[in-house]
Amino acid sequence: MAADNIVIKQEVTDAMNLEERILEMCKEETKGVADVYIKQQLPHIDAQQRVKAINRLLSLGKIDLVKQGSELLYRLKDPSSISKVKGVDNQERLVYQIIEEAGNKGIWIRDIRLRSNLLLTQLNKILKTLESRNLIKAVKSVGASKRKVYMLFNLEPDRSVTGGAWYSDQDFESEFVEVLNQQCYKFLQQKADLAADSKLDPILRRNQSYGSSEDVWKFIRELGISKVELAVEDIETILNTLIYDGKVEMTVSLRAGSTSSGTPGQVKLYRAIRPLTEPAGIMRVPCGVCPVFNQCYDGGTISPSTCIYMKEWMDY
Amino acid sequence: MFATELDYRMSVCQIHLCSLLIKEHFGDIVEKVCTHLIQNGAKPLRVAAQETGLKIDQVRKALCVLVQHNIASFGLHKRGFVEYAASVEQVLLLVRYPRYIYCAKTLYGDAGELIVEEILQHGQMRMSTVVGRVTQRLSEGGQSVTNDHVKGKMEDLINTHFLQRVPAPPPDNNKAAFPELTISERDLYRVPASIEVTRGESDTSKRKRSTEDSDPQSSSKRLKIDSEEHAADEGILWHLNFDRFHKYLLDHEIVQAVSRRIDWNAAEVVRTMLRISELSKGLEDKTSHPISLNDTMRNLPKENNMKFGVVEQYFKLLSDDQTSIVTKVGETGGGSYTLDFQNACKALVVSTIESVVQERFGSKSFRIFKTLLLKKYLEQKQVEEFALIPAKEAKELLYKMFSEHFVTMQEIPRTPDHAPSRTFFLFTVDVSQVSRMLLERCYKSLANVISRRAFETKENKRLIEKSQRVEAIAASLQSHGADQSQTAEVEDMITPLEKNQLEKYRSKMSKLEQSELQVDSTIFTLGNFLRLESDS
Amino acid sequence: MAGRGRGRGRGGAMAFTAEVLGLGRGDVLPPTTSQPPPLFPPLEFRPVPLPTGDEWDYLLLLKQEFRNTMRDSPYYIKPQDKKKDIERYSDKYRMSNNSDNTIGWTPDWNRLPKELKIRVKKQGETAARSAVKAVPNLQAAKQISQKDVEVVTQRLAELEQKETEAASGDEKQEDEDEEEIDEEEYYDEEDQEEGTDYIVSYFDNGEDDVNDDDDGLDDGPIY
Repeated sequence: MAADNIVIKQEVTDAMNLEERILEMCKEETKGVADVYIKQQLPHIDAQQRVKAINRLLSLGKIDLVKQGSELLYRLKDPSSISKVKGVDNQERLVYQIIEEAGNKGIWIRDIRLRSNLLLTQLNKILKTLESRNLIKAVKSVGASKRKVYMLFNLEPDRSVTGGAWYSDQDFESEFVEVLNQQCYKFLQQKADLAADSKLDPILRRNQSYGSSEDVWKFIRELGISKVELAVEDIETILNTLIYDGKVEMTVSLRAGSTSSGTPGQVKLYRAIRPLTEPAGIMRVPCGVCPVFNQCYDGGTISPSTCIYMKEWMDY
Repeated sequence: MFATELDYRMSVCQIHLCSLLIKEHFGDIVEKVCTHLIQNGAKPLRVAAQETGLKIDQVRKALCVLVQHNIASFGLHKRGFVEYAASVEQVLLLVRYPRYIYCAKTLYGDAGELIVEEILQHGQMRMSTVVGRVTQRLSEGGQSVTNDHVKGKMEDLINTHFLQRVPAPPPDNNKAAFPELTISERDLYRVPASIEVTRGESDTSKRKRSTEDSDPQSSSKRLKIDSEEHAADEGILWHLNFDRFHKYLLDHEIVQAVSRRIDWNAAEVVRTMLRISELSKGLEDKTSHPISLNDTMRNLPKENNMKFGVVEQYFKLLSDDQTSIVTKVGETGGGSYTLDFQNACKALVVSTIESVVQERFGSKSFRIFKTLLLKKYLEQKQVEEFALIPAKEAKELLYKMFSEHFVTMQEIPRTPDHAPSRTFFLFTVDVSQVSRMLLERCYKSLANVISRRAFETKENKRLIEKSQRVEAIAASLQSHGADQSQTAEVEDMITPLEKNQLEKYRSKMSKLEQSELQVDSTIFTLGNFLRLESDS
Repeated sequence: MAGRGRGRGRGGAMAFTAEVLGLGRGDVLPPTTSQPPPLFPPLEFRPVPLPTGDEWDYLLLLKQEFRNTMRDSPYYIKPQDKKKDIERYSDKYRMSNNSDNTIGWTPDWNRLPKELKIRVKKQGETAARSAVKAVPNLQAAKQISQKDVEVVTQRLAELEQKETEAASGDEKQEDEDEEEIDEEEYYDEEDQEEGTDYIVSYFDNGEDDVNDDDDGLDDGPIY
């Protein structure tokens, strides 16, 4: 397969699994687990992914980093931290805990009701109270037809809720994506053209045609077409769509020096490519694009001799 | 009986296409017989006559034509009678004949072109006849060529395995009900020692031959009577080795692809590798034997003056390429590499399929399709996320491709009750299946185009006939020295309106025929891939 | 054709998968309006233009030539009782009269099962030339024969009735034609006198002797 060796950005689901595994380890070892331990338990996970998962858990407030002697341990955060908040009754504490457990993905009001067994009016009141005290917040989710989900106030909503950079107010900005897609391609295409015209040796010429995701990111930033701050990762997502468009190929190169994205020394390089073949011959015949192809047969109402597509095409 | 037959079953489309092709090349009667054999398998002569409702002599003649053109073959049924079978594969090759002729032209010039054309027109031919006929045709075309020149070209075609001997009957064939045709490996590409033609009645022409070879007039005169003469290559017939032509066409596709992916120099390196591997490998091999950098360097065409270091770099680029057409296998001889034909066919077929999706469903669908190709199995939600296409649109496009069998779906139930709500629906692209589906589409499309051509001809029948008449009259007038005004007057019998309509008709025919060639090129690419795949 | 009868099956699959795909009612499926959809809905995408260039032009030429050559070749077998009005004009210009009671070429019987041998009787002078494995010259077959010239000139006369002078002129020309035309063609004088390369063989099976075939089998061919 042409693209087997393309490394695609880690799937979201994988990342979630990883976080859950780490959380479970923390739950088992109430005193906390060391980084070395996590590493041993998850030998196939590379350092970059592990660090990323731990950082997320830390930022979500699900785990704490505690010092035990000379060792640093990750420990499950005390779920009853709400109790420290003054003036919160039991029902409010229950709702708070349910919302806290949902993390930065948030939880839908109906699920809170289901789990708390509170009446809707009661629950609404509690939610309002917690909201007004800036303990929780409501976020519109892009996923399930824009319904509201609740999460702790200080949490950054998960991408599955906000939809990431490609969502504005929970609406998918497909035009924005397409503009970025085109601009990224233009950048790589120009690079490839320049390289092709150069008098360099073949390998140098190819290397000249590569652009790293960071190069592309810089180019896009300088264009100033994005109102929101885009991360290199966002650009890589766009570059991936170009791979799926068959216009770009990606290769991972080991290079000295570190970059802000990816493992130090590992750079994702992209370059514009042409399709391997001309369009298939079958697509040069009306039958290739015919919407009623399967209904067509000699002697039928739709047939080669009655075909208007064929007629138009021949007269053209 | 037919080694080249693929493992997928014969389809209605294929049969329909076959019948159109046979009808066009050999007429209705041969078509009836051939289609019957294709549809129903091998049949004895009498049964075929009975079942087709044709006269037995008609069937006989049709079978003779089909055998002559390498389409039908015969064998002994275990109950002792002779039965006849026709090969779908061979019939479908009729569309590709122009390409074989063109191949020969590219490789061996005008003589090569005419040699292959003659043999295709007759199915099987003696070398002496081919050489005579081609020399004659070339002379008439104003080229001064000798028999020896043409013979040399034909030997080239044989030595490079583009032509091979037709299996021959045993010498004492008179008693058997049918000849057991055989050919030994050793003889397959053996050029006959002599194709000298000796004349029975008088030997004047024989003496003439040695002295007047350079004179096209005399050679053409002599050739026309070769049917009266006894040729030294009596009983040795030649036909095309289609597999060899296919190999050449595939090589050509690979070279083209490399030139698109890297550049012409890289393509030149690959072309040289292909040349080196040409005869030392079987046509069915999936990879070439290892070819060293040094060998390639030595065999590069003279006009290409790439330095060693540059060629070395091209090998690096080639082996780095994601198509994996060239793989590094060792360090000997400056690095040794193999060509992987299976990878090449796969890359070509994937690119072909991709272009179909792109042109039939548009860019967004193509993005979804390619996402699935690269990621193998995805849920709809994941497709949206990777392709960055809004859910609703992605759903529509995915569904459309699914309903047309470009995309398949696999259900992974999470519970034994297979409830849809607790089932994963994973979408994927099965390249082999899509290839087979597209191949069917190609067969049907090709048949459609041929049908349309027949329809257009029927529609314009009167006009075509009138113009043929007028042309013939004008031509004969001209050849009899009629003056311009006379011929012009005859030509004026076609009104401007009719002229216009004729023009239109001809342009339509050209378009339709051109597209037949186009569809066949897709059939070729898909077929290569499926054939290699079914072998593995 | 494959298209026939498939619609139903596919429709069924559609109903099932629509839900699976999470489609709402009428979400994607063609809207179920009361109006029938057009027979040929407008094309969403156009075919890719045909390629241009010498290679394709030449291939096209080869294809057309090959097709025409085959149609006029003795391998193209036409039914005997083909009606005149659907006869191709070019048929008149064929060297081989290859309808089903004649054979315009001589198969190599040595390579074929005995039972395929057709009882043939050669006609006229050609019988004398007991040629072996003659391969018809398809190029020559396309050329206009002497007889055709007569047809042509005759036709010309018909078509050009208004031109009074022409009639006598043509007649005069006709005699010259018989000698002149072949200088243009492959067939030189010598061949012209000897006849053609074709062995135009007529079957001896008359009109209604379909049943005779069985008996005729063992007789073998008559040259």
